[in-house]
Amino acid sequence: MNIIVCYKFVPDPEDMQVKPDGKISFEGAEWIISDYDLMAIETAVRLVEAHGGKVTALSAGPQPLSSSKGKKDVLSRGPDELVLVVDDAMQTADTHQTAQALAAAIRKIGEFDLVVFGEGSADLYFQQVGLQVGELLGVPVVNAVSKVSVEDGRVVVERSTEEDVQVLESSLPAALAVTTDICQPRLPSMKEILKAGKKPVTEWSLADLGLDLQAFRSTEVLAVRPPEQVERKRIKITGEADQAVQQLLNYLSKEGVL
Amino acid sequence: MSKEIWVFSEKETLQGELLGAARFLAGQLGGKTAALVGGEAARQEAAFRQGADTVYFWQAAEGVQPEDCLATLVQAARQYQPAVVLIGATWSGKALAGRLAAVLGRSVITDVKKFQVQNGEIEATHLILGGGAVRVEKPLAQPLIATIGLGVFEALPPEAGRSGDVVALDFIQPQTRWALRERKPKPPASVNLAAARKVVCPGRGVQKQEDLQMMFELARLLGAEVGATRPLCEGLDWLPRERYIGVSGAFIKPDLYLGIGVSGQVQHTVGITESRVVAAINKDEEAPIFQQADYGIVGDLYQVVPALIRALQARR
Repeated sequence: MNIIVCYKFVPDPEDMQVKPDGKISFEGAEWIISDYDLMAIETAVRLVEAHGGKVTALSAGPQPLSSSKGKKDVLSRGPDELVLVVDDAMQTADTHQTAQALAAAIRKIGEFDLVVFGEGSADLYFQQVGLQVGELLGVPVVNAVSKVSVEDGRVVVERSTEEDVQVLESSLPAALAVTTDICQPRLPSMKEILKAGKKPVTEWSLADLGLDLQAFRSTEVLAVRPPEQVERKRIKITGEADQAVQQLLNYLSKEGVL
Repeated sequence: MSKEIWVFSEKETLQGELLGAARFLAGQLGGKTAALVGGEAARQEAAFRQGADTVYFWQAAEGVQPEDCLATLVQAARQYQPAVVLIGATWSGKALAGRLAAVLGRSVITDVKKFQVQNGEIEATHLILGGGAVRVEKPLAQPLIATIGLGVFEALPPEAGRSGDVVALDFIQPQTRWALRERKPKPPASVNLAAARKVVCPGRGVQKQEDLQMMFELARLLGAEVGATRPLCEGLDWLPRERYIGVSGAFIKPDLYLGIGVSGQVQHTVGITESRVVAAINKDEEAPIFQQADYGIVGDLYQVVPALIRALQARR
């Protein structure tokens, strides 16, 4: 079976800085595979290991996406090939524009049985793109998938909702967004890391896809700022453990929370 | 152009809260509220009571999933051109919002925390970067599609006997559909962090899985639940995922949160901001957690936690 797994390449959210003027900055941040997408990649790779076929990793994003380190990283996790839509216009893309870019790339790639997405991106976590791509492709799409199997050409998933676990089934092709607990992503082996450099990589621009992203813009970002901080007392207790503990317990007792 | 504010949720409580948000927007924009309701006629009355001016209603056959109304909603949105569609952010609601947006060619503003209207334009505030930043967006085209989680907006006081117009919609079969094979109960949750009054939360400073025993002992003495940061639940797998506090995990509001060996990454602390008192133990004086704590012990958890256990035992 042919599986396409989509991932996002993001500035590491842990490298976020709040500048003195209150602006959010990712200056000098390392770009990484959005960590929720590692489970999507692992899910796709395991399905192909079980049923045969090919995994194509796909991502759309601005220039840092085409860094050789990033390409190697994703390919060392098991996909057979990589397709990238690299265009700086992706930097400010909203959920629908991103979905349009990925859907256009998938149509250009051609046939597929399954498209797999992560639960949400590590930077924005809007949890939207997979659902929109599935719908744009006209295939059955579902989120919150905590288990997946393929039986007789049909895909069967467990979907963990607020109340219960639904066992759902659909014909292929289909699209899914998987939860972070669906599986534990493997660590790339040295062999896989060496192999990664030899796997095929295709890079397209939005123009190659015949896509004018501006035509799909439906929201405008007005401001990004740090959230309002809750005022905390910030009392630091230092010194020997037994005494420090007594001090803490006295404070907590005064607060009435013991 | 229509100034109708539509709401959809398969959950009646959430529907009421969405109507609270819708009434605010309708008041600011000079519009009306409408609820999209499928299934039983009794749900129409509930929507009116909760503040809907109009109910768009369709009959749905037994076993129809909430998302199966997609084609019905698409048709209705094209015909009646709402200004805003607010959808309850359950898993089904998120899926429905995304699929509706794809068909209508819109983005979705997810998990809105606040709406404002400036010069007749809607501004929606929501969180990004796991709560590390706030983003304000405005729609450039109608309808604005937004999702809202449970407990964010206040429902209006219910008005018994309130009614309005019912617009009947034909249920349109969806083009794609997942067949429901069965429903299974969720594995029983080992913990309900959201309801806990006190939470002890070990973080990456804990070196071995066995060391969690003293966290559970401390929690027992405090009458607390044990939560955790993400690496302990996903990655190390020392604790089940239900115990994970932060983005994509639990958001807690206890009287006391005690972080132990927690550095204070925003992905975690976003989940604890509503705690009444935050206390922390960390050997690194520069750890960000101390900026967000009321009381912090700067010290090695392997000395402080046993001391705390001894002190609590002595107080009993």
